[in-house]
Amino acid sequence: MRLMNTPREVDLCVTTRCNLRCKYCSHFSSASDVGKDLPTEEWLKFFEELNRCSVLKACIGGGEPLCREDFPELVEGILKNKMRYDIMTNGTLITDELASFLASTKRCDSIQVSIDGSNSAVHDTCRGEGSFVKAIAGLKLLQKYSLPVTVRVTVHKDNLADLDNIAEFLLEEMKLPGFSTNSASYMGLCRQNAEQLMLAPEERSFAMRKLLDLSQKYNNRITAQAGPLSEAYEWLQMTDARRKGQKSIQDRGFLSGCGVGGDKLAVRPDGTIVPCFQLPHIELGRINQVELKDVWQNHPELKRLRERNNIPLSDFEFCRGCEYINFCTGNCPALAYTICGDENHPSPDACLKRFLEAGGRLLEKCQK
Amino acid sequence: MEIKDKNKPIANPSVVLREEFDDWAILFDPDTAEGFAVDPVGVFIWKRLDGRHTAEEIVAELRKNCKNVPDEALTHYNEFIAELIKRGLVGKEIKKEKTA
Repeated sequence: MRLMNTPREVDLCVTTRCNLRCKYCSHFSSASDVGKDLPTEEWLKFFEELNRCSVLKACIGGGEPLCREDFPELVEGILKNKMRYDIMTNGTLITDELASFLASTKRCDSIQVSIDGSNSAVHDTCRGEGSFVKAIAGLKLLQKYSLPVTVRVTVHKDNLADLDNIAEFLLEEMKLPGFSTNSASYMGLCRQNAEQLMLAPEERSFAMRKLLDLSQKYNNRITAQAGPLSEAYEWLQMTDARRKGQKSIQDRGFLSGCGVGGDKLAVRPDGTIVPCFQLPHIELGRINQVELKDVWQNHPELKRLRERNNIPLSDFEFCRGCEYINFCTGNCPALAYTICGDENHPSPDACLKRFLEAGGRLLEKCQK
Repeated sequence: MEIKDKNKPIANPSVVLREEFDDWAILFDPDTAEGFAVDPVGVFIWKRLDGRHTAEEIVAELRKNCKNVPDEALTHYNEFIAELIKRGLVGKEIKKEKTA
């Protein structure tokens, strides 16, 4: 794989603060939860370096990025340095003034708001009392200014029974073009609340089946890069290939489930450059003290991560004897790290064999 | 309004030139999110679109620095510039009118 000269995009966790404490938050209690934020001028100086490196886009997240009083100033800095931007937010702090400002920039590619239920009773169980009303108000303000708003639904035990209503609410009532899904994963605060939140195999089976059906019903307007819907597509493809007598799927049978170090880097709230905001423990240097281009091209940890996809799954005791080994990618290195303590390991959470052995089911009717 | 010098195009200052290790590059307009792929010759020309170089000067410099430049290079240059203008990546400097 040829390496890009510099990263194309950078994920910026601009604050460690948040006005909510969602029970499954991947930020709090992770290595990114550093307790202090960089001052404005440090970020603005870094944006100038991003410009020199021809970085095209910044994704602004946190914590909750709108907790920063200087948020508009940071966006101005991004614009001044010729970038476009995305925002990841809980939606509760969006004001008319802010939405109007964001619309005026004409450089916003997406604003992702987290919505986990079709009503306060469901949404607020994980995200805190009053958060649903505020998030929906924020969402409506973004829509009022025709901003490219997207919604992420995190599936967990408490909203499983609400998935039909959520789809109807977001796609019909709120008239969103689509929404994406994932699930509460063993990271950050979720590690303390895993029993309460994470889906058991039977619930995961239900979520996969339900989301496949809803995605079909709504013409693929429901998408996923992780979580039950993504797993359903992935695992059905694996079982289908095996059933057809294929020996493998191209590029699989290795730790190839993640393109970390391919086109992006991330920065923690304290300015530490990391490979991905979900791998905040791998420190690559501090912004404005090291050269981003040098980190990107030469840092040994990034080189090590880029070599992941040459590590065969057959090297792992964990995978030995698995009939799906040549169809599998090992999935997310961040989850492998939080579960096993090693990012260069298959993620046990994404193991089809384990899922089936624990009573999980892939239903024929769900196959595309 | 009068175009200052029709023969000296100037690169849109908002546009990002993103060069890679291999010989391709992209001109990215952050205002429209549109990208335009350019080859090494295109990159060579782009870097000289400062409103001070004429087409003839740029092509002459190209001949000096590159091998096997075809006879029709000036025509190719003009086609390339026309495409960049069409995409809003390049413009011509406007002479300011004097106000009373």
